[in-house]
Amino acid sequence: MDISYLGLLFSMLLLVFPLFIFHQLKLKLSKQLMISFGRMIGQLALIGLWLQFLLDQEDYRLTLLWVVIMLVNAIITLRGRLKYKRRILFPVLFSALGIASLVVMPWILFMVVRPDPFFSAKFVIPIYGMVLGNSMNSCALALERFESGLSDNWKAYYTRISLGANIWEAALPQFRKAMHASLLPQLLTIASMGLVSLPGMMTGQILGGSSAMVAIKYQMMVMAAIFSAVSLADFVAIRLYLAKRFDKYYMPIKDIK
Amino acid sequence: MPELLSIKISRLFYANRHLISDIDLNVNKGERILIVGATGTGKSSLLNALNLMNQSYHGEILLDGKPITDFPPHILRSRIVMVMQEPWLGEGTVSDVLAEPLQYHALKKRDLGQRNQKISKLFEAFQLSDSYLHQQADQLSGGEKQRVALIRALQLNPEILLLDEISSALDQKTSGIISDCIFNNFPGTVIAISHDPLWQNRWQRSWTIESGTLKDNREVK
Repeated sequence: MDISYLGLLFSMLLLVFPLFIFHQLKLKLSKQLMISFGRMIGQLALIGLWLQFLLDQEDYRLTLLWVVIMLVNAIITLRGRLKYKRRILFPVLFSALGIASLVVMPWILFMVVRPDPFFSAKFVIPIYGMVLGNSMNSCALALERFESGLSDNWKAYYTRISLGANIWEAALPQFRKAMHASLLPQLLTIASMGLVSLPGMMTGQILGGSSAMVAIKYQMMVMAAIFSAVSLADFVAIRLYLAKRFDKYYMPIKDIK
Repeated sequence: MPELLSIKISRLFYANRHLISDIDLNVNKGERILIVGATGTGKSSLLNALNLMNQSYHGEILLDGKPITDFPPHILRSRIVMVMQEPWLGEGTVSDVLAEPLQYHALKKRDLGQRNQKISKLFEAFQLSDSYLHQQADQLSGGEKQRVALIRALQLNPEILLLDEISSALDQKTSGIISDCIFNNFPGTVIAISHDPLWQNRWQRSWTIESGTLKDNREVK
């Protein structure tokens, strides 16, 4: 069932409650609320029009172009979020997110959904959006944890290499901790799914008229795709970051900005 | 004695600060060398250059006639092992701490002889009882940690042992125990930095760094 524009306007009127609370508490968030919702409405309206155009065209070249734009946008966003060693991050993130996408998306399209036409925007863009968004957030967390783990434990790192450890062996404990910190929340979310929360995709499909069973199957597939992509992206990102963070004698490169 | 290490460095730096000029030294197998000099003269920078942890120098260092930069760093550092001033042992029991380096690729295939017997002997020499093996490493005192760090290095049978002021935070008695133990239980080459007079009295050779130059004194004791 569609929502009318008047209905949408009424949904926005719900914001009077937070605005009232902000006013009462003299919380300086009202302006940010207006900016955030204004941006969200503008961005989604534009993307909605663009997606509608893509869906109507059913041209795989346009879909592919949009996939590449999504990937580049994810890398730029991620690079902005990570405040350290930014010069080396572009190739690291491009490879990590690129490899995760290239493994997971063809798998899903060839072996699971098998849409017709094959590169149908209707399937590719929403699924890729979820896979990429989660991989991006997870990569940011994993790289941040890895770098802070190294910075807090230089003595351990230097001791290991001074005893004959190679770069992989010396950094492995921090690698493990970063992967654990990044993947555990995902696993906990997966474990609570259905009981604690109904995931967005499933909710959307049910509201859009699909049967609950179809929505559940899609959700299960998407969670497997997301977790696989996240694990791959984290692993590749830290592995490549490790190679660029140290010189050939396993010493940290200090002048990387 | 056969030559093990050749050090020819025209200029040694720390970051961009020039520290020592015209170093030309040979080290033979089994030699015991003490590096002395005031703080900031370049003792640690020189020691770190020997295991590729400092590359800020002009010149060449050869191990068995081959430039050290030609070795994979982990292979070189498994032959030239360093023990640092502030020991880091990590998590777990002392036994876990001692076992960790044995998992390293560079050391997996090394014949460590009868390691358990050797560790027992080292514990005895360092005046630690075998029960320490089951203690949590983070509960040891500073002196005990330093001794465990040395046992961890010595069990690996390195050809050269680099010691970076390992006695600086220890009392005289512990420092003496460590010095005795290294002299009596390690047949390889030792290059050490120490300000402890107890150490300075018994080394056969010393390198004194002063005013940007290094003086090689033999038969110190």
